[in-house]
Amino acid sequence: MSQVLEEVDLSVDALSDHPWVTIVWNDPVNLMTYVSYVFRSYFGHTREEAERLMLLVHNEGRAVVATGGREEMERHVEAMHDFGLWATLAKDGA
Amino acid sequence: MIAFTRDDEVVTARFTTDERALLSSLAHQLIELLGERAAESPADLLYAQLGIGGQSTAPLDPALARLLPDAYRDDAEAASEHRRFTELALVDRKVANARAVIRLLEAYEVRLDDADVQAWLRHLTDLRLVIAARLQIEEDDDVGLGDDALLDLYDWLGYLQGTLVECIE
Repeated sequence: MSQVLEEVDLSVDALSDHPWVTIVWNDPVNLMTYVSYVFRSYFGHTREEAERLMLLVHNEGRAVVATGGREEMERHVEAMHDFGLWATLAKDGA
Repeated sequence: MIAFTRDDEVVTARFTTDERALLSSLAHQLIELLGERAAESPADLLYAQLGIGGQSTAPLDPALARLLPDAYRDDAEAASEHRRFTELALVDRKVANARAVIRLLEAYEVRLDDADVQAWLRHLTDLRLVIAARLQIEEDDDVGLGDDALLDLYDWLGYLQGTLVECIE
């Protein structure tokens, strides 16, 4: 027997193979310690993971720092812009 | 100057009168720069109160464009839509940080609680982004136009921010 829900969360992108991603881009301005701090304090990453992502940004020019629904990624991008980091969102694999 | 240090829960720094005047002046200049952008927005009062109704295209000034970047890199329509609904609020938050810094600089000894630390971190970043844009620093270890005075200021603000990050590590 199945139950029906009268309301559904329309923000759930349940059928998509490609969720959205938040990308942080390298810039010559922000201190490496600061970028690492932002990844720890905002995303709750461990020190090791934050350092890994920070170095990825630094060495590769960009890193995916979060994956999920579009609205959530938009919030992350705004938060990164608050911190002064250069971030964008995109459909994963796009 | 005694750069930022932490003693228990309180983060403090001491600046000379000249340094305080300089930091305060920079904060005022940032507010002015952001204010020019907000003033150009076509928002009507209702939209403005809701924090939406900003412009739909990125600023032409590279410094403002770096403070208020596009949220989408390869989708101009989505970037434009997102900017229209979020830019004014982002400007407001950056202005609020600058105002907090100005207020905290009034004391001889700058004492920061957790919220103040966040305002300073973000504000120092915003100042460095603007100066880097003015110097046309585009790559790591780039000295840009080679304006020594501005480059010294840029480095000094970076040093200051570094000591602040160390305080909260």
